[in-house]
Amino acid sequence: MGNMKKLLNKTLGPFILYALVILLCSIPAYIYLVNKIWVNELDEHHRGIKSKIEKGFNDLNYAEPQLSNTINLWNSLQHGVQVKPGDSNSISKENLYTINKFDPFHNEEEQFRGLSSYITINQKSYLVTIETNMEEMDETIIAIASVAIGFFLLLLLGFIILNRRISKQVWKPFYKTIEKLEAFDLKGNASLHLEKSNTVEFEQLNQAVTKLVEANISVYNQQKEFTENASHELQTPLSIIKSKLDLLLQYPALSKEQAEMIESINIPLSRASRINKNLLLLAKIENQQFDEKEWVNIGELLNMDIELFSDQIESKNITIHKDFNMRTVVQTNKSLVEILLANLLLNSIRHSAEKTQIKINLNDNQLSFANTGDVSLNKESLFKRFISTSDQNRSSGLGLAIVKQICNRYKWQIIYSFDNGFHVFTIKL
Amino acid sequence: MKILIIEDEKELADNISIYLSSENYVCEFAESFSQAIDKIDIYQYDCILLDLMLPGGDGIKILEELKKMNNHDGVIIISAKNSLEDKIKGLQLGADDYLAKPFHLSELAARIYAVIRRKQFGSSNIIEINELNIDILAKKVTVGKTDVTLTKKEFDLLLFFIGNKNKVVSKSAVAENLSGDMADMFENYDFVYAHIKNLKKKLNDAGCTNYIKTIYGTGYKWEI
Repeated sequence: MGNMKKLLNKTLGPFILYALVILLCSIPAYIYLVNKIWVNELDEHHRGIKSKIEKGFNDLNYAEPQLSNTINLWNSLQHGVQVKPGDSNSISKENLYTINKFDPFHNEEEQFRGLSSYITINQKSYLVTIETNMEEMDETIIAIASVAIGFFLLLLLGFIILNRRISKQVWKPFYKTIEKLEAFDLKGNASLHLEKSNTVEFEQLNQAVTKLVEANISVYNQQKEFTENASHELQTPLSIIKSKLDLLLQYPALSKEQAEMIESINIPLSRASRINKNLLLLAKIENQQFDEKEWVNIGELLNMDIELFSDQIESKNITIHKDFNMRTVVQTNKSLVEILLANLLLNSIRHSAEKTQIKINLNDNQLSFANTGDVSLNKESLFKRFISTSDQNRSSGLGLAIVKQICNRYKWQIIYSFDNGFHVFTIKL
Repeated sequence: MKILIIEDEKELADNISIYLSSENYVCEFAESFSQAIDKIDIYQYDCILLDLMLPGGDGIKILEELKKMNNHDGVIIISAKNSLEDKIKGLQLGADDYLAKPFHLSELAARIYAVIRRKQFGSSNIIEINELNIDILAKKVTVGKTDVTLTKKEFDLLLFFIGNKNKVVSKSAVAENLSGDMADMFENYDFVYAHIKNLKKKLNDAGCTNYIKTIYGTGYKWEI
């Protein structure tokens, strides 16, 4: 699947990205707001202090120089609040400011919020300067950012959990449909039954898929029936031609040329009936007409086939190397396996040059046939119908298609490889 | 000897009858299920050739009918279906042999010959042709007093020829007889020549007349 993603994960990505952007934008907004409130609160606080100082000194009701001494004492104790004699003309002016300055207490440059205003003590004007360190702002920013990130992670977790839940529940019918489609086999003779869904889109999908599959089943069945009927109907005319040739051969006045002509008709005629028989066989396998199963000893069948084809093996001077586990048994349909083995052996014999070897290996889980060859065969088309792999025209073009069909029927894997000058057909039983 | 050909394809039935008539065979025809039933009810046959797909009924039913009648005529099924179930069912119901269409007439003649001999002679099935003596059950061949040791294929070949006395059999028919269903899968029929050569040699060495004639290199004839 490589770069493929699940549909829900595709929608999840942008959602998460959007949430991240919004949360990131919220951080400066929070900082601005908190800063503003903080400054306001400080200003209010400073005004309060100013009023308390004014009231406090007036309540003391000290006379000079006791008042000046007390103010000096105050100034030396309270670094943040300074009271100095001021210009009585500027009595109503209040100044709010933010400055950076060196804080001897913390021994570094820091930000301060300040208020300078005038108060009246004993009818005399004084300038009050109140400054408060704003160092807490840094911590506030960190705290807000952490909270924002924390919430983002919560959001993320929530998205993922919700996503899983949704995919499990909402998308259930969709996945069921996919599962059914994957398991569906056109050759299996079964129709497709999709569950009803209460989601409009899924129900639409199911209906469309069902319609498509039904059309396919119908076309497939027609094709199968056609093959079967056509092959069937051909048997009779083929029989008539064959018997006519046999009769023709009985004429005493037959010349050499005529006799040869008859024999040369017999050969393609045999081929035509072979193709016909094989097409019928394929149709029957597809129709699941070979149901009975029994325990079949593969080695015994192979030996019988080698015996049956001994003429062809000898006439080509082929040496057969057998390495059989004679105990290998498979529960299957005997006639089909006979056809499978005969086809593979014949294939090897037919495509072998004279004086070569055929190696047949059989063990509990695989069977392989190897015969010599010059170049690798086309793996794509090898098992297709009517694809001839050589220039020998006596092939029915169906032998390997039948082999493949039988393997499919029993879910055996068949692999072709070209190895060290050998064509190797391996069946994993 | 009487043979009933139950076959709806007239042309094929005629061909079979022409091929068989030059021997001692007399052929009768039935082209439908009902005709076939009528004929087997009245007459006795040495061998019945039965096509399974007939107008008016399934050929298998005719076998059932024969069984019910306790009729022991030899039956050879000739079918275009070539289906294993039909073959097994047919043989279980008492058919003696099964031949898939299309077939060589020589193959059919050899099968008919074998079925009739089995029915007629049972346990003492011995063919005598002049000096040649063939014990079919024991698979033993003697020429005069000399035993001839034949391989299984040579023995089958000999019976195939004897079932087609004085008939030209084509090389492809011999090949199909030897290799069965798969004969047509091979590039050449050279192996036919090898077997016939061996058979001829073994018979000649034992002092048997050379009955097997080669016809233009494309066919053979057991001439007597």
